[in-house]
Amino acid sequence: MAYRVLIVDDSAVMRTFVQRVIELSGFEGSVYFQASNGREALEVLRKEWVDVVLTDINMPEVDGEEFIRRLAADDMLKSIPVVVMSTDATISRIDRLRALGARGYITKPFRPEDLRAELERTLGAPCA
Amino acid sequence: MLEVDRVLRESVDEVLEKMFFIRSLGDSAGASGGPELIAHLTFEGRPAGSFTLRADVSAARSITADFLGAEDVDVADEQVGEVICELANMICGSALSRIESDFDFRLTSPVLVPAPPAVRRAAVSRAIELFNGAIAVTMNIEEPACSPAAEYAF
Repeated sequence: MAYRVLIVDDSAVMRTFVQRVIELSGFEGSVYFQASNGREALEVLRKEWVDVVLTDINMPEVDGEEFIRRLAADDMLKSIPVVVMSTDATISRIDRLRALGARGYITKPFRPEDLRAELERTLGAPCA
Repeated sequence: MLEVDRVLRESVDEVLEKMFFIRSLGDSAGASGGPELIAHLTFEGRPAGSFTLRADVSAARSITADFLGAEDVDVADEQVGEVICELANMICGSALSRIESDFDFRLTSPVLVPAPPAVRRAAVSRAIELFNGAIAVTMNIEEPACSPAAEYAF
């Protein structure tokens, strides 16, 4: 199964890592877009259609929480599923992001199989 | 402080194993005394404080290569610095989530610094030996100004 995936993280090495993990997880042929903060991510989403967004939280300019808030307020974009990747595993933060509209949440550090499972759960179908 | 010490060790092991596919070789006396990279960040909220990670350059290059699926010789210095900052970010976040899973905290972006910042005596440090050198982490948790230190039950 191939998907169109937007990876949002202010760390270039983390974006590279996440893309590599997805590629190694059986999502061969997927198409990747990258953004280093929420503002750039919104620009990408206004030009490109994607199946899922994977986003960090702590980022400059527009952080992950504000990005999800803006996405949820945009009628054209609000149906795109968002999975949060964060080092923050505090219950209040996870609950708040889910309430804002995040479909999934994965805590760093994660194993490649954890990310695959979260993507499958979010996208609603097992991958080949 | 024993609790923070245990949490710190568990967090280092978990992050190295899950994201970097590295197993530690046990406790170390500290960095080798050779060239090292130092990443530093602070955290606000409950608890508040700072976190520092020191890595021998040889260990840092090896960690970066594992993270990116590349050979040591192929990784750029800029990537090494970025990965060490990410490593610090993940270890600190993991440790704080274990210490206080019900309270909000916010991490600043890690930055590379030329020398380890001074910390108070009660800061907790761990040094871990890896295949290609050592890393050392220090967590400095500030005591709350208006409540007893025992509130956090470290």
